[in-house]
Amino acid sequence: MPRFNALGFGFLAPAMIVVTLFFLAPVILTVFFAFTNMSTSTGITGGEYLLTQSSLREVRARSVSEETVQKLESTVYAVDEAGLARLAAARDAATADELAALHGGAEFTSRREMERALKDLRENRIRSTRDRKTLADLFTTSVMDERFQTETEFRTALSAANISEPDQSELVEVAYTGWTWTTENMRLLFSLDSSWRYAANTVFYVVLTLSFNVGFGLFLAISTFYLPAPIANTFRTIWFLPRILPPVLYVLMWYWLTWDTGIISSFMGLFGVSPRNWMLDTATNAWVVIILINGFVGASLGMILFSSAIKTIPDSMLYASEVDGANRWQQIRFIILPQLRWPILFTSSYQTLSLLTSFEYILLATDGGPGGATEVWALAAYHTALNNYGGNLQYGLGAAYALVLVVIGIVTSALYLRFFNFKELVSKPRIEQ
Amino acid sequence: MQLRLKNFTKTFDGLTVIDNLDLTVESGEMMALLGPSGCGKSTTLFTICGIHRMNGGTLHFGERDVSDLPSQKRNVGVVFQNYALYPHMNIRENIAFPLRVQKLDTATINRKVGEIAELVHIPELLGRRPAQLSGGQQQRVALARALVRQPDVLLLDEPLANLDAKLRLEMRSEIRRIQLETGITAILVTHDQVEAMSMCDRIALMKDGKIVQLSAPDQMYNDPVDTFVAGFLGNPPISYLDANVADGQFQTGGGGIAISDALKPKVSGQIQLGIRPEYFGPQFGSGLQGKISFVETQGREDLYNVTLSNGAVLRSIQPSGRRLKLGETVDWGVDADHALAFTTDGARI
Repeated sequence: MPRFNALGFGFLAPAMIVVTLFFLAPVILTVFFAFTNMSTSTGITGGEYLLTQSSLREVRARSVSEETVQKLESTVYAVDEAGLARLAAARDAATADELAALHGGAEFTSRREMERALKDLRENRIRSTRDRKTLADLFTTSVMDERFQTETEFRTALSAANISEPDQSELVEVAYTGWTWTTENMRLLFSLDSSWRYAANTVFYVVLTLSFNVGFGLFLAISTFYLPAPIANTFRTIWFLPRILPPVLYVLMWYWLTWDTGIISSFMGLFGVSPRNWMLDTATNAWVVIILINGFVGASLGMILFSSAIKTIPDSMLYASEVDGANRWQQIRFIILPQLRWPILFTSSYQTLSLLTSFEYILLATDGGPGGATEVWALAAYHTALNNYGGNLQYGLGAAYALVLVVIGIVTSALYLRFFNFKELVSKPRIEQ
Repeated sequence: MQLRLKNFTKTFDGLTVIDNLDLTVESGEMMALLGPSGCGKSTTLFTICGIHRMNGGTLHFGERDVSDLPSQKRNVGVVFQNYALYPHMNIRENIAFPLRVQKLDTATINRKVGEIAELVHIPELLGRRPAQLSGGQQQRVALARALVRQPDVLLLDEPLANLDAKLRLEMRSEIRRIQLETGITAILVTHDQVEAMSMCDRIALMKDGKIVQLSAPDQMYNDPVDTFVAGFLGNPPISYLDANVADGQFQTGGGGIAISDALKPKVSGQIQLGIRPEYFGPQFGSGLQGKISFVETQGREDLYNVTLSNGAVLRSIQPSGRRLKLGETVDWGVDADHALAFTTDGARI
């Protein structure tokens, strides 16, 4: 019977905190953000209610009555209780009373008419034109260009402007400047041409980089296997350098190599080739550089994994193949490669996942350029959510991009776990060697 | 095919493991390389198949000088201690591998694999994988793979070490049968004297990279060149007594032992006597008194240790039934014709 063990939980706690903080929380937040329209303009906290001239266009697109639109467009000055109260506060009660006696209940469709009405006052004459202009504004019933902190305030204002209840609800939605729940991101994701192009770029990038990784990793592992141990170790260490180098430095070296005043250009200059940026000149250049940058890093991991897998092949089996008459190539083809089947599959599936989500080398090298040619899905998510050229960071849409990767990641991980049958992988071999 | 190893020298990192070894295995002969761990027997075997390179000397298969050939070109069949079957291939592919790398056509390969599978009695296993076979079956597959391309010599590296006792007995006779049927020249590397004696025509007993004695099993048993050989062969092992030649007898602590006519002119002074357990007992008269200090019942036979009065221990093996007790005093004799005499530093007299 499993025994409850406080110490065990104590040991688990740090791991659980880290997993929750750095894995679960981001995933949950991604799902949450993906179904909102959060952006720089909405902010991530609440918002206000504001109708502007530009929001009127949206109002027209909705099922709002023509009358309401008219009301919004035209500013109406009404001599009503509220206006009179404001006037009483601004000047005095006598003025308000006189205006009520003269024009109580009247509505004017322009400021000029309202000012004329104010001019009609005899007992409490308002002499200054400027004062009349200011006071006229007190009777405006328009809700345009005015900020309301809460929905209730906004609705009160709309009611005051005699806007019908159903239209009010529409206007509340249009006027809200904060974020709202929406599935719009998902629809957008699958309808945008650009997202399909990012997907195609990603597939291209993953397939080619992976082939390079595994192929080159295998080549390194097998070739170093046949070298004497000290030389082989030196080679392995050299090939491992890209991985332990900080990515920024590593990519900086590629800059030096590929800049139009860089090593390649200088060297090619000797043969009369005019200097150019070998990284960003064309899409082909960019892809070659991206795949090499990622490929060399990935190949080093493959090399280590494959090397250790080759070392687990018993010597006697290699000896046996030699006395059986197999030459080097046949030994690789018939003995070594078949026994590397699992490491190759494992590396491929593992790296597929990490390549899908990793974009740091592309970001540092081409930043998706030239002209979005190397923009992959993960980089698009980053650009949309966190580094938008237009300045309006679309957190919601970016999260939707990321959510697609999260779903793909979780589904494929689950499939891999099943496919690789980890229980069997870690079980003891049936033949003792 | 005759195998000739001349002046063979092998060093590892400057350490000479084998120095100037000569060995000739006659065509169709099965030779055992017998010796304790580290004596160089496996090194010799791996050099013959080309996995290790020679540092000096020559190796001929018949008239062909193979000293500098890589193992691929030597045409040897090797059975490794762990069989070294290819786990990702089924049995048919395993056996066919040496032919496949020669790029023979499929029909020939199938025919040869079928024949060899019949020879080693595994035709029904061809579709399986190595992991699905028992140790004995894997052993047969390894033999088949080694033999399928008709090698000049067959090399067996401790082939029975990984088998349980019963299978070992069975495979011992099977390997010998197959060797005799194919008439192939074979070398068996083993540290088990019983294997060497029961399977081979001749035994080369090695120690510290040298062959101490090379002769037929019975001759090596009955006529060892020194105490090492005498002690290595025989189970339970031979026991030694310090003795003095005086009054026409070997004088030992426990009594006197007669000297055979053959030995009489050669021995004098202080010597070592080697007495095998089967030549010490009541059936050989009396003369050595001692106490039974150990009894081991082996079913058909009983093994006794007899401690003589001077503290020396003699082993005796007797048909079971006597039921002597620990501590009993006995007075047994030695078969003088089979007592082996050695000098004090171990050489045979």
